[in-house]
Amino acid sequence: MSTLGQLVISGILIGGIYALMSIGLTLIFGVLRIVNFAHGEFLMVAMYGAWAITRLLGLNPYVAAVAIVPAMFLFGAIVYRMIINPALDKPHLVVVFATMALSIFMQNVALMMMTADLMDVPPIFGRSITIGPIYIKVELLLGFIITILCTVALQWMIKTTYLGKAIRATVQDGEAAMLMGIPVPRIFLITFAGGSALVGLAACVMMPLFSVFPTVGLNFVLIAFVIVVLGGMGSIEGALLGGICVGVVQSLSSYYVAPAFGQMFFFVLFLFVMIFRPNGLLGQKGAATIGMNE
Amino acid sequence: MSAFLEVRHVSRAFNSTMAVKDVSFAVQQGELLGLMGPNGAGKSTLFNLIAGVLAPTAGEIIFEGKPVTGRKPYEVARIGIARTFQIPKPYRQLSVVENVMLSAFLREKSVAGARSLAEATLADVGLSDYFGTPVGSLTVGLLKRLEVARALAMRPKLVLFDEIMAGLTPTEVGAMTKFVASLPSRGITVVWVEHVLYAIMKTATRMVVINRGEVIAGGAPAAIARDPAVVKAYLGEEMDLA
Amino acid sequence: MLVTGAVSTKKPMRVPILPERGRLSWFELVLLLVCIGLVVASIPSSLRDVILLSFLFGGLALAWNIAGGYAGLISFGHAAFFGVGGYTSTILLVHYDITPWIGIWFGGTIAGVFGAALALICARLRGPFFILSTLAFAEVVRIGALNWSSLTGGPEGLSIMPTPGLASMVFASKATYAWLMLGYLVVVYAITKALEASRFGYYLFAIRDNEDAASAAGVNPLLGRTLAMALSAALTGVGGSLFAQYFLYLDPTYVISPELSFQFALLPAVGGLGTAIGPVLGSFLITPLSELLRSYFGNSAAGLHLVIYSLGLVVVMLYFPSGLAGALAKLARWRPFS
Repeated sequence: MSTLGQLVISGILIGGIYALMSIGLTLIFGVLRIVNFAHGEFLMVAMYGAWAITRLLGLNPYVAAVAIVPAMFLFGAIVYRMIINPALDKPHLVVVFATMALSIFMQNVALMMMTADLMDVPPIFGRSITIGPIYIKVELLLGFIITILCTVALQWMIKTTYLGKAIRATVQDGEAAMLMGIPVPRIFLITFAGGSALVGLAACVMMPLFSVFPTVGLNFVLIAFVIVVLGGMGSIEGALLGGICVGVVQSLSSYYVAPAFGQMFFFVLFLFVMIFRPNGLLGQKGAATIGMNE
Repeated sequence: MSAFLEVRHVSRAFNSTMAVKDVSFAVQQGELLGLMGPNGAGKSTLFNLIAGVLAPTAGEIIFEGKPVTGRKPYEVARIGIARTFQIPKPYRQLSVVENVMLSAFLREKSVAGARSLAEATLADVGLSDYFGTPVGSLTVGLLKRLEVARALAMRPKLVLFDEIMAGLTPTEVGAMTKFVASLPSRGITVVWVEHVLYAIMKTATRMVVINRGEVIAGGAPAAIARDPAVVKAYLGEEMDLA
Repeated sequence: MLVTGAVSTKKPMRVPILPERGRLSWFELVLLLVCIGLVVASIPSSLRDVILLSFLFGGLALAWNIAGGYAGLISFGHAAFFGVGGYTSTILLVHYDITPWIGIWFGGTIAGVFGAALALICARLRGPFFILSTLAFAEVVRIGALNWSSLTGGPEGLSIMPTPGLASMVFASKATYAWLMLGYLVVVYAITKALEASRFGYYLFAIRDNEDAASAAGVNPLLGRTLAMALSAALTGVGGSLFAQYFLYLDPTYVISPELSFQFALLPAVGGLGTAIGPVLGSFLITPLSELLRSYFGNSAAGLHLVIYSLGLVVVMLYFPSGLAGALAKLARWRPFS
C-alpha cells in the first residue's frame, strides 16, 4: 500500500513538471495553430544551458533560470522571425518540414559540440523529505511547486491583462481578433517567445532530475504532445491535468511492468493515447484530428 | 407509392442543443424540392445527415426503400446521392477538369472515360473554357459552378445543392436557375437549399421550411410565401419573396 | 483574372521535353541513359558507391513520396519499413537459407503489412499528430528489434556471409550492385508514373487535397490511405532488403533510426513533393553531397552532414517550396524571347 502511495505521489509530482514543459507547446499550438517540432530541442538546448551554468559557474540550476528564461525568450523570438513567420502564409507542410529540419539541426549541432554523452548535475539536496512512510525528493517537490506557481501566474495573466485577453481572443478566432484591432502578428511573436521561455524554465527544473543528451528532446516532446492532446489544445489547466495523468501512469508502469518496456514507454504511451483518446480526456477538442488544411 | 427519399423523425443533437428536431419529409422522384429556413435553422446539418457526414441521434433516412442511416459518405455517394458543399471544397492542387474527373470515376472507371464525362459535365455548367485551369485561380462564382459539376459528374439519382447561388452575379443566377430547373427532366431529383429565395421560389415544385431544427411549413411555393408561420420565422431577416 | 480560356483538350502526341504527370519525357529518357552510362563507364570504386547509393536512395525517396507526396501522409517513420524489409530477407537468408531473390518479396510484403497497420493506427489522426505517430511507431519497432535478439541479433546486428554467389545475391563487383540498384530505381519510378496516371492515383490526390470532398465523391479515404501507405512501405521494405544485400550488415540503431526516416522525407521535399521526377533529382543532388561530406570529414564531425541537410531543407522549404521539380517546371514555362 505504501509502495502504491509512493508511486502515485512521485507520479503526480513528475507529472506536474511534465506539464510545465507542455504549457509552452499548448500555448503555441492554441494561438498560432502550428506545431513546433523542435520543441523538444528547445528543451534540450535550455537543459545544456542550465548544465553549463551549473558546472562552469558552480551555481545551481534553479538560479540558472534567471539567465536561461530570458535567453530562451530571445531564442524563441529569433526562431519565430527567421523560420516561423516566413512559413505562416505558406502551405502547412512548410512549417512541418522547417521545424522538423530545425530539430535535426539543433540535435546535430549539439552532437558535434557536446558529444552523445549523458550530462548531469550533482544532487542539490542531500536528503529527501519524509511524510509518514513516503519519501519525497526535494527536487521533485520544488519543481512541482514552481509549476503550480507558474500555472497560477499564467492563468492570472491570461484572465486579467490586456495581453492575456488578446491571446485568448486569438485562440478563439484569429481572423476576428485581427478585425477587432488586436495586433495578431505581435501576439504570435510574444506567444512563441513566451512559450520558449517556459520551456527554458522547465529545463532548469528538470536538469536536477534528468540527464541531458542531444536526442533527449524526442522523448519529452512526445510526452508534451500527449499532454496537449489529453488536456485539450490551448488549455493550461488541461496541461496540468494531462501531465499528472501521464506522470502517474509512467510511475506505476515503471514499477509494475517489465523494465525492458521502460525504453518504449514514451512511444507506446503516445500511440496508445493517439489511438484511443485522440480527442482528449474530456473529448472536448479534437487536437489530434485537426487537419493541416485548416 | 413509397417516396424516393424519406426523412423519418430525424433528430441530431450537438452536446445539449438540438440542431435538428424530429424532422420528417419526403421527396418524390423527379421533384425539385426547395428547403428553406433562416440562418442556423439546421439546413446544412440536415444535408450532412442525409449525406452520411453526421449520424442522426434518432430517426431514419430511407432512399429508394432502403435505409441509409449510419452509412459512410462514400457509401451514400455510391448509391446515387450527390451533394455540394456550401463552402466549396476543391482539390487545390488539381486542375478544374481533374476535380470533376474524381467524381466521374464513380461511373467511368477508365481515366479517358472519366475525362470525357468530366468535360461534358463542365460544358453543361458553362465551364468549358477552364478545363486546364488550376482551381486556385477560380473566382467564387466559378468555384460554385465547379461544385455543381462535381456533383453532377457522379450521375446521381438525387442531388443535394447547398447554396450554389451565393456569390454569383444576377446574370449567373439566372442561368444557374434555368439549369437547375432542367435537371428533373434529365432524371435527377433535386433537394435545394438556397438563400437567393426568388430563384428557388420560381423553380421548386414544392417547399419545406424549417426553423430552429423543426419543419414549420410545407407545400407549393406560392402558398409558403403567404404562410404566417414562415413570415414570422423570417421576421427580422432580410427576405425577398418577389 | 483568368489567363486564357481555350485550353486544348486534345493532347499533342509528341513526347514532351520536360516531365509531365503520367507521361514519359525526353528529360527522363536522357536521365536514364546517363544513369546507364554511369554504371557501364569504368570509374573509381569509391565513386561507384556514391552512384549506386544515389540510385537506391532515389528509389527509397520515390517510395516515400507515394505516401507523403501523393497521399499527403507525411511519415517520419519510414525507416521502420526499411528495417523490417531488410531484416526479413536477411533473417530468411541467415537463419533459414532462403535466397534473397525470394526473401525480398517477403520483406516487401511484411513491410507493407506494417505500413497498413500504421495507417490504420493513425486512422483518425491528422497533421502533426499523424507525423509524430509515425515517428513513435518507428521507435517502437527499433526498440523491439534491439530487444528481440534471438531473431535480429539485437545490438550486435546481423551479418550476411560475404561469399559472392548469385543465389545469395552477394556480388564481388560493384557494377552488378549498381545494376541492381538502378533496376530498383527504374521499377519504383515506373510504378510511380503508372500510379499518377491511374484512377487510384487520382483518389490519393483527392484524399490529400480534401478528404470531405473525396468522400462525397464516393472515395473511401481510409482505404486509400491504407493502400497508399502499404504500397509505399512495401517498396521501402524492398529497398531495405537491397541495402542489406549490399552492406551485408544490419543494425537497428542505423537501419531503423529517426535520421534515416528524416532522410527519406528530405529527398522528396528538396526534389519536389508529389512529382515523380522530384525525389530522383533530390537523391541525385543530396546523396552524393552527403557521401562527400562523410568521406571528407569522416567521423570527426558526426552529424555534420545532417546539420547541412537540415539547413538546406529550411532554405528550400521557405524559398522553393515546390523543390527542384518546381524549378524545372518553371524553367519549362520560361520564354526568354517572347
